[in-house]
Parts: sequence; C-alpha cells; structure tokens
Amino acid sequence: MKFQQIDQFAAHLRPSTRAAVYDGSKKGHEKRTQVLFDHYPDPDRLRQLAGEIKQHVIENLDTYLPAIEAKLKANGVIVHWAATAEAANEAVLAIMRARNATRMVKAKTMVSEETELAHFLEKNGVECMETDLGEFIVQIDHDHPSHIVKPIIHKNRRDIATSFEKNGLGAYNDDPQTITRRARDFLRKKYLVADVALTGANFLVAESGRLVLVTNEGNSRFCLAATRCHIAMVGIEKILPRDRDLGLLLNLLGRSGTGQQLTVYTEFITGPRAPAQPDGPDEMHVILVDNGRTDVLASDCRDILRCIRCGACLNVCPVYRQASGHAYRSVYPGPVGAVLSPLLMGKDFPEKADLPKASSLCGACNEVCPVDIPIPDLLLRLREKGKREHSAAAAAGTPPMGAWSLLASQPTAWKAALLGGRIINYLPTKMLPIPALRAWEGKRSLPAWRGGEFRHWLKGRARSPGAPPPTSGGQSPRPS
Amino acid sequence: MSNDRETILTRVRDALAPLKERAPLPDWDTELAIMRRLVPAHEPWVLFCERLVAVNGLPLDSAAALAAWLREHQHLHGYCDPALWPRLAAHFGEGFTVETEYDRARVDDYQFGITAAAGAVAETGTLILDDRATTRRLAALTPWVHIAVLSRAAIFADLQQAVAAMGDDPNIIWCTGPSKTADVEGILIEGVHGPGIQIALLLG
Amino acid sequence: MNLADRIRPDAGRRVQLMATCLCDAFYDDAARATVEVLEHLGCTVEFPAAQTCCGQPAFNGGDWPASRKVVRHTVETFAGDCPVVVPSGSCAAMMFHGALLEFEREADLPAVAALGRRTWELADFIVHGLGVTTWPGRYDARIAFHRSCHGRGTPSSAAAEQLLGSVAGLTLAPFGEGEQCCGFGGTFSVSFPNISAGMGELKLDHLRAAKPDVLVSGDMSCLMHLGGLAEKDGRPVKTQHLAQVLRDALKNGGLI
Repeated sequence: MKFQQIDQFAAHLRPSTRAAVYDGSKKGHEKRTQVLFDHYPDPDRLRQLAGEIKQHVIENLDTYLPAIEAKLKANGVIVHWAATAEAANEAVLAIMRARNATRMVKAKTMVSEETELAHFLEKNGVECMETDLGEFIVQIDHDHPSHIVKPIIHKNRRDIATSFEKNGLGAYNDDPQTITRRARDFLRKKYLVADVALTGANFLVAESGRLVLVTNEGNSRFCLAATRCHIAMVGIEKILPRDRDLGLLLNLLGRSGTGQQLTVYTEFITGPRAPAQPDGPDEMHVILVDNGRTDVLASDCRDILRCIRCGACLNVCPVYRQASGHAYRSVYPGPVGAVLSPLLMGKDFPEKADLPKASSLCGACNEVCPVDIPIPDLLLRLREKGKREHSAAAAAGTPPMGAWSLLASQPTAWKAALLGGRIINYLPTKMLPIPALRAWEGKRSLPAWRGGEFRHWLKGRARSPGAPPPTSGGQSPRPS
Repeated sequence: MSNDRETILTRVRDALAPLKERAPLPDWDTELAIMRRLVPAHEPWVLFCERLVAVNGLPLDSAAALAAWLREHQHLHGYCDPALWPRLAAHFGEGFTVETEYDRARVDDYQFGITAAAGAVAETGTLILDDRATTRRLAALTPWVHIAVLSRAAIFADLQQAVAAMGDDPNIIWCTGPSKTADVEGILIEGVHGPGIQIALLLG
Repeated sequence: MNLADRIRPDAGRRVQLMATCLCDAFYDDAARATVEVLEHLGCTVEFPAAQTCCGQPAFNGGDWPASRKVVRHTVETFAGDCPVVVPSGSCAAMMFHGALLEFEREADLPAVAALGRRTWELADFIVHGLGVTTWPGRYDARIAFHRSCHGRGTPSSAAAEQLLGSVAGLTLAPFGEGEQCCGFGGTFSVSFPNISAGMGELKLDHLRAAKPDVLVSGDMSCLMHLGGLAEKDGRPVKTQHLAQVLRDALKNGGLI
C-alpha cells in the first residue's frame, strides 16, 4: 500500500462535504473558546481538575464499579454487566423479550453505536427508532454519524431534504425549520407507542447512583416521559465520584461540546419514577459495558478513558477538518477516535493502526480537551505499537527510518551526506530516487540543498577570528 | 451475566495491578466553576431573568402577564396543574380552554402546559423540574409552550448550590431554555421534541 | 518536564548550539543568525561538530528503537552542563518532552532527562534564560509570526512575539485561526501529502489576508512547508527564521 487511507479519503472528499465539516467544526471551536474564556478567568485550571478527577476514577475502577453497582441496586435499578458488544446487545434484547416489547425509542448513545445495537435489534424483530434529529437522519439514510455530537456535520440541508422526500416525510423542502417540524411530528408518534426507552449516560455518580443525561432537543426526556421501561447502556469509565463533581464536569461538557454554558436538558435519574408521577418508567436497567475498555485500561493509553465525548478535539483538529469523520472508519473519529478506535479493536489493532498516524501532532486537541487528555503522547505510543506489530496500514507511505538512524548516529557519514546531498540540486524531480522526496515535491517546491555551508562558515570564522561574518544571502531555489 | 461481572472485574483488577500508585481524588473549590462576573451581581430573580432571556426563554412575573401573552399569541387551549389553577384562573378570561387532567392520547391538543418548578438557577437561567413538583412529565414537555411556575425562595444563585441541594427525587431535570437543535448546517431551530417556548412564571 | 526547572546559563554565558538537521542541510543562514544573535548577547557559542539530528523523525514515525539510537548519539554529543540552545521549538520539545516518552522504560532515561533540562528553544532562552525582553536595532517590515505547534504549552511563542513586538519599525500583523497547524508535521507531510497541503493552503490564505512583508516563525520546518507550497503555487512568500529577523535588526541598527 502506497498511501495512507485517511489521506486518500480526504483527497477524494466531495468539496461540499469538506466545506460543511470545516464550517461546522470551526464554528464549534470558536464558540467553545469564546464561552469558556468569557465565563471563567482560568478555564485551563478547570480542565486540569476535571482530568485529575477522571484519572482518579479510571485508576480506581476496581473499587468504583462494585460501589456503583451496590448504589444502583439500593436505588431500585436492575444492574447488568456486559463484557462484549454481543453481551450488551443480548442483554437489551432479553429485557425487551421479558416484557414482550417490540418497539424501542432510543436517545443518542455512543456505546450503542459501538455495539451496533439498532441493527442487532432490527434483525431480531424489534423496531429501534433513533430520536436525536441527526441520528434519525443518519438512520433513515442508512449512513453513519461522522461527529460525536454533530452526527450529520457532513450533510447539507439539500442532502437531508432529499432523504426526507425519499422516506415519505413530505415533499422536498430544505428549510431547516420544516425539516425539524416534520421530524417532530413523526417522532412524537413513535415515543407515545414505544415500550422501552434506551439511553446512554454522560455520567454515573458513585456517591448517589445518579445517572446523568444531557441533550438539547429533549429527546431523551421524551423517551423517559412516554415509556414504562428505561434501559441505559453505560461504558464502565463513565463514573464520577461525587455529585459535586457534576458542578465541574457539566460546566465543561456543555461549553466544550457546543459552546453552551449548559445543554438545554440535563436530567438526573436515580431510579424508576416517583410513586405519584404518572409518566415515566417503572422499571430501570443499567448495563455496564466493557467492550474493550479493560484492554485500554491495561494499556499505556488508559488516559483516553477520561474522555467525556464532547467533540471539542474533533472541532479543533485540522486533520479532521480536511478528512471528515468517515475517513476514520470508526464510531469515534478525530483525535480521540485515532486513539480509542484502534485500541477498542483489541488484537485486531493493526487494522486501524493507521489512525494514530493521521495527525501532525500539533497538540491543539490537548489544549481544548475538557479532561486534559495528552492525546499527542497517546498517538505517539500507538504509532510505536503499530510499528512493533508490523501494521501494514500504519506503514503505508511512511519513510523507513533504519538507514536514516544509522546515518544520524555516525557523524562522519552524516557530514559526507551533507555534502553529497547537493546532488538533488541538479536532478529533475522525476528522477529523485526517494519516495518521500517525491511526495514532498508533489505539493511543494524543495529549497536548495546547502549541506555543509553552516559548518564551513563556522570553520572560516575559527580560522580568522574577528573577521566579519559573511553576508546573509537569500536562499535560492533549486533548479527544476 | 454474572459471569460477565466477574470477567470485567477480574480484567479491571489485572489491568490496575501493575500501577505503583493510583491517582488521588482532588478536592476542588466550587468557587472556581462559578461565573463570578455575573453572580451575585444582582438579586437572584433579576439575574435569573437576564440569563433566561440569554437562552431565549421568557420570564414573566404575574398571572395576568401570562394570560395576556397567551392570548396575544393565540395559545388558548392548554393544560394546568390542578393545584396551580386556582391561583391563575381568575386571570384567564373567556376564550381559554384549560384542562387540569392531561390526556396522553391528545398530546397535540395542548398548546401550553403549566406545571410547577422545583426551583431555578439564576447563574444559568435554568428551571429545575422534578417528579414531585411536576404533575406530569409529558405535560411539561409536549405542548409548544411550557410555563414553569416558580417561587422566589426556590431560586439558587449558582449552579454549584443547585448541585449541592439535589435531594432524593428519582428524576430531576434542568431545563435551560427551549428545546433546540443546530444539527442542520449549524442553524438554530427551537422546538425539536420539547417546547419551542419556555416561560418562567414567578408567583410568590 | 517542568520547564521552569531548566539549567540556566552561568556568568560566562557558555552555550552549546544544536543547529538542527534542517539548518545543517538547507538553512545555514538561520543557524548563522542564531550564532550571531547569541554572541551579541554575550554568549560563548560552542558547536559540537558530531551533532546530527534530534531523533524526531523516527520518534514520530513510530520507530522508537531507531529514534533512541539517534537520541543516544545526541546525548553523547552534547555532553556537558551548559544550556543547549536550539533555533527550533520542535527539536527543543523533542529533547525535553518526546525523548522522555520513548525512554520511559530505558535505563539511560536520567541522561536523556538531563539533556532535556539543559535544552532551550532560542526565543525562550533569550527571554527566560537570559532575561532579555526587548530587542534593539531596527527592522522596517510588517511581519506575520506563525506560532509553531511545538511551542504549545511552552513559553516560546509568547517570548518570540514579545521580542519581535519590541523591535523598532516592526509591526506584527494579526491573522485568522492562529492556533491552527500549518500542516508540516514531519513525516506527516509526506505520508499525508493531501491533508498536509490542504492545511498549509488554509494557513497561507489567512497569512496572505494579513498582507505581511515577511512570514516569520521559530521553526524552519513550518516555513519550509509553507514557503514550498506558496512557491509551487506560483505565489512565493518571503520567509525568515526569527533569528534572522533579530540578527537583521541588529545589523540595520549598526549594532553588529
């Protein structure tokens, strides 16, 4: 393989898609920055604190997991454990079957994307309706989300209007207001006849057993107002120690994700509805899902488990902006995805070991991360792992480093190469013998090789101390 | 399933065993996460109004003002919490149809829903609803206009106070403005699944 | 590594120069300017002749054994106790951050960390190592300063802007999306040529809109990429390393 897959995907991306992704992510980043720095004198301190809290949780999951289980049970919640995606999906299906339930409404949850729950349930005769507007559009389009919080960032209104028309949701109309109203009318009928609601969790508080859900549209609220059974699929890393920690994490989540001080709806659920409340579930299940997370925990990249799925690293990432989310071939795109997705592959890591390569290591992701994950360091560790495990996907288009390291550890050879390199000044591009140089020259001109000049100048000065230094000539380009 | 429990816990313990030390839980000062520039710049209701307007919500401070607004916008059919209705009825004149029983078979009949708020947060313009204060979750969600009735004493100055005061109600929801999305080309549209208009009515 | 704990210059202001492989091969004048600037500040500049490269290309490429071989050579070459000054935020960060990551489980980590503690990026060294916060001389130009990404989390970019901002005749031109990477990224530039070039073109659009006379950075690698893109596109831009601007300001002011 000659080229990196993500680079090839980017090269063939529809220009309107690139423009949509660029505009959406740029706006998201600008709003985030403005709101955080407008509201707080030292947002970085908040990010560090939140990172420390979540790092504490993941390094103490052995005590937090049994603790949260006990608390949930005491609150009247039925707790399930699922080591794999299959086990998680089977657990959902078993709950549905026990209630003779055939209709589910579903709020957005990333872990259910990992397990491909909707697809699994449909195969087993359960209607599984996505209710988040973006996820709903992805579902009727048989597409995939391309951003963690803005699933249809890659689509424009014309794309959406076309698929609404195709799916019997009215004649073509690309007015965003009309699109939204049509989805509102269609989905409220679905909520009201559904048997079961499925959600994820943004946080699960060990101290209180509080499960926290945030949305802007109110879809998870509708799920939990209209149905009698609530199932929450929750990754085992979602725990927070104390209720008071929500006061920090919620403030960071809304601002980092969508540039809001708070998402519109923040729901805190400790169990089935109150006795006097007519609406809402009388049965609540929490499925604690591993699905590769313990592999991540065992790795030297466990810091990525701090992630709260805000999408800020996607928005700021210049590579994501060029390539779009689908380039990552994963549920999780962008910088967080480049770390998490290959790790969640387990032993098939090498298949996606090219993802950590898709970064200039600029570090913008770390700067915006609300839990201060050192993403560039983790990308580097995974590059090393990809090389060690001989990943062909990772190796594609990467110059081999063996000869270079030999040269760069032998000063005599290095000095000879500095002089010998001048040959590139006299060869036309096509004859350049090194693929990396050709890749460079495909996009950029190469400056003139001036190997040895600096050392020559230094020597000249040493021979005649006090002599004025040579004048600084401009760099002349190499002839092509 | 119980098998999965043991599998996961064993794997977690194995993964953490090599760690020489575990990251400690930091204590943190809630002051850091308060927008001090705003709080307490004003009396809580005044700040709450300002912040609610900033998220496109509408604060009103009398039953008469509410009735006038509803009439002006031709929202004449709605639901009201039966415990609140006696305090409002006198201001709702002719032309209004207000039901004190909510029928989920007719969700689209209700143009507005009036329910009690459990509290509010001034700093963020947030209304706090919970299972005890809200007669019906659906009544606070399905109508185009939701009116949450609030008392002055139930307004927290900042979010940290609201977090600290979360009790044992099984379902607490913070509503900060109307339901909204920006999924289509980043354009803000209000009233996706929940109310398109969120009103806070101060009574007492 | 806590950058506040780095080794500071002694009274004799002895420093070792790590010239970087790019200056060694292409940009001799940037290295020369670095020497002249340091000497103007009273430093005695030593150039360990066995130096090659900081080891970053293989480190970023995932070939850590190859990279460690080069880092070990570098550690040996820069034996001593005085500060090591580098006209590149990228190579400096390799020494005080990257190398530590790849030596985490190696027995010679302490030797690598010791070199890291001695390593300074040029602007950071001038402002925080020597305490020089204003620059004399004169440089009549409108300059766009590209904050290279390896300066994130370090005092380098702010230091460079502080120095440039104090030069008589010099105007710093603000431009959009300054936090965005230029797209160089070392081997990334050749293994992801399309994305790398796309990033660079966006950066150039922002820079051109600011209408600078010169595009300046503390890293020749960013300038090699941006300058190369602009030239290939038939719309060349003038680029200079920070050290060249500082040196030229001294010359224009008759100070060297």
